[in-house]
Amino acid sequence: MRELDLADIQGGILRAYGRLGFPKGRYFFLTVHDGLKGRRFVEHLRPRITTAARWVDPKRGEPLLRTHHPKVTDAIREKGIDDYPGVVELVKPKVAINVAFSFLGLFALQVPTRTLRGMPDEFIDGMEKRAPMLGDTPWLDKRDAIWRRASQLQAQAQVHVLVSMNAEMDAAGAPVPELEAETQWLLGLCAASEGGVELLPGNGPSEAQYQDMSAVLRDDGGKLAPSNKEHFGLSDGFGDPVFVGQYGPKAEAIKRVGGGKLLPDQTWAPLATGEFLLGHPDEAQEIPDAGLPIEFSRNGTFMAYRKLHENVASFANYIKAQGETYARVMGMDDAAKAQATVSAKLVGRWDDGVPLLAAPDFDAWKAFQARLAAAQQAADKVKLAEIALEYVNFTYRLDPAGATCPVTSHLRRVNTRDMLDPHFGAKDPKSWMGSALNNRRRILRRGLPYGAVDPANPTDEGEHGIVFLAVCSSLFRQFEFLQQQWVQYGLDFNSGSDTCPIVGNHDENAKFVIAAEPSGEGAPFICERVPQFVEPRGGEYFFVPSMTALRMIGMGIVDPT
Amino acid sequence: MPNLDGGHYFFTALLPIDNHGIIEHGPFKSSAVHMVRDALEALPTALQTPESEKIGIQSPFARSLRTHFVRIFVVDAPTYNGRDSIDTLLATAQGIDPLKAQAVDRLACPYLAFVAEFDPAGDGAEEPRSWLEELWRLAKPELCSVLQYCFQFDGDGDGAAFADFVIKGQIETTMPFNDYWTITPPLPNLAGVELIAPLIGAAALAALVSIASALGVIVHDHWPWPAGLGLGVFLLVVLGVAFIGAALFYDYNLINRRGAKPFPAAPNATLRHVLKALYLQQAFTRFAAAQQATSPAELRAAFASFAATVRPDDLAGPTQPAGVVRSHFAPEPLDA
Repeated sequence: MRELDLADIQGGILRAYGRLGFPKGRYFFLTVHDGLKGRRFVEHLRPRITTAARWVDPKRGEPLLRTHHPKVTDAIREKGIDDYPGVVELVKPKVAINVAFSFLGLFALQVPTRTLRGMPDEFIDGMEKRAPMLGDTPWLDKRDAIWRRASQLQAQAQVHVLVSMNAEMDAAGAPVPELEAETQWLLGLCAASEGGVELLPGNGPSEAQYQDMSAVLRDDGGKLAPSNKEHFGLSDGFGDPVFVGQYGPKAEAIKRVGGGKLLPDQTWAPLATGEFLLGHPDEAQEIPDAGLPIEFSRNGTFMAYRKLHENVASFANYIKAQGETYARVMGMDDAAKAQATVSAKLVGRWDDGVPLLAAPDFDAWKAFQARLAAAQQAADKVKLAEIALEYVNFTYRLDPAGATCPVTSHLRRVNTRDMLDPHFGAKDPKSWMGSALNNRRRILRRGLPYGAVDPANPTDEGEHGIVFLAVCSSLFRQFEFLQQQWVQYGLDFNSGSDTCPIVGNHDENAKFVIAAEPSGEGAPFICERVPQFVEPRGGEYFFVPSMTALRMIGMGIVDPT
Repeated sequence: MPNLDGGHYFFTALLPIDNHGIIEHGPFKSSAVHMVRDALEALPTALQTPESEKIGIQSPFARSLRTHFVRIFVVDAPTYNGRDSIDTLLATAQGIDPLKAQAVDRLACPYLAFVAEFDPAGDGAEEPRSWLEELWRLAKPELCSVLQYCFQFDGDGDGAAFADFVIKGQIETTMPFNDYWTITPPLPNLAGVELIAPLIGAAALAALVSIASALGVIVHDHWPWPAGLGLGVFLLVVLGVAFIGAALFYDYNLINRRGAKPFPAAPNATLRHVLKALYLQQAFTRFAAAQQATSPAELRAAFASFAATVRPDDLAGPTQPAGVVRSHFAPEPLDA
């Protein structure tokens, strides 16, 4: 197997910045008024772009003991195996800078027509035009000003370029000063473009010049540390896909378990590179569609940027109310226990990320936590490595009815694993198909929360939520399918029009069913009138070029012939 | 088809690029193959379009007066066309599982494809070495900028070492491009009789031997005539098959040999001839325009002067420089 050309791939695709020591972020949206000046801007930006080349992080803590939850990556490091491909030649930067372009951005930078016409329809359309299918229509007027202003084709404020900065954090929980320095540099670069490139304000109610982002911080013994929580209080970011080339062979053998695809023989394999990077064969053994020449597409990818507001009070109140009902109906004596259970059933994981498949009920969850605490107390790395795998290593074969993890829970919808195997219920293991119907619907989830919430006094109003980034080589086949069929609809799960209980659209009759074991005595529980928890505040589809393509764009030498 | 064809040498080499490690180059930290592309894209092309004429920086390969073209590009991966297609019924019968991914061909490293057409020195026996050595002498800095990340490339070596390095990556050119014939070339021909004659000969020989043998055993050895006839028929079949088979084999080789003959060289088709011809065409057009409505005597004198100036048969005389789209004449070039 040939290694990926890491220095040609932009950072943030193989690595999730938020989880890798960059808990702060600023995303800048720019418009290009003049093609030549715009390309000059790209050329100035180009040397600052962070790639996927391997770096050393001098501050990285001891594996398995450095984080709140043990990570599979750490389990790999603990074994002395490289958890990243390639050779270390760089030092981790304080700020990772990346760039992506909307279709109109590529057009404004005068990328040739023949290249542009090879681009996929949904990318050409842009996110706003896809609103009816994504379920965004009800929220279009609530978008940030930047997206509302950009909405006409003739608008002077179209979003053309996304420059992202992901930064380390200081001890006080603020971004490192380098982030502000880079911000000033970028503003200077726009100013020096003689009107060629303009930074668009309009992020959030204060019309901010950039979308500010930060991990939710937690108090770690008097010190602020980034957590993997979002504003609902749920731990996130466990189940990211694993694809060929993302890890060395030894690390891949461990990471693919639960992260890759499930083969008919029930073993795990990494997904094809082409599901996440253009120019490589994908799961259908085809090269994904994108612009010509192949060098323009190869090692690039597409990204959906979505700003998702979270109605924190609605979520907390609903869980509380449903918890009380659930306790009464199920004969539970402890309301807190019932609330935690309802929340876990909606999500598919307990609020600390432990999957229901690993801890089916409250007592099992507490036992899991105790096991984790004991292993951490004893610094038992073998145990911690085992526990790390439990967060991701499960299938739904033993839970066909969803009595443990409801079939319409968020987790089970967005990564169906083996659940949609057409021969799921077949007795003959030889007919099983593993995760075949899920393999082409995976996305790399990147992004960070934005804003802050007072957990003691949660509100729906205000500026807080998640900047959700979906990275995949076909927005149509992967991100949009997921959103339309599995988030905003339920038929594939035999659940009619039920939408995702967390991120789906909820009308006044939205419901969520917590199934009971069909052979048992228990009755199912129906969560009624689920309120709207998440509302889109705008976004766009972007092309994330390789360094080769970025140079071709900047130099104006894209040659599609 | 051979490398040497139509009087030109068609050169193809694939040079592996060592794409390990990060290359720091000015403010950039890039992969080696990225730097190769960067160097290639900064390499000036010949001034053969009005746009590139404006740039005015000439291709380094135009320094060689026997190089028709050089084309260099990066090959990252073999072209991938998806799964091998097969009839659905056949696949089912063979138990091929369409869910199972087929192997995908990959290259162990990216390659630099180095393709050129040039005039061979002499009969071409010294090529491509002599041309590569000339190229090294004329365009070493540019070649180094492009080739420096190739495995085993030595920028400090001499022309011979450079030629050794490139020839190691040479592969046979199977599809050369010829465009210099203006009349029908004397193509190798194969008359039908050349193919049929051996077959007739073989058949005749088989018949002759069979008849002679049959007569021999009947007359000389006093075999009963049915037995002799039987032997004759038997021999006719066996020898007929063997001899005609041999003749077919001969024909097959004849076709291949004739087909493998290099395409003949077009007359006056070296680069210097071509440049001279382009120059003459343009000069003559200007001459013809200037001499409209002159008397035959004046025309005759003017043409003598024109011929003396442009020296049509002298390749070393006035000509068009290499790598440009047109000759540039002084305001009154023919008054000398």
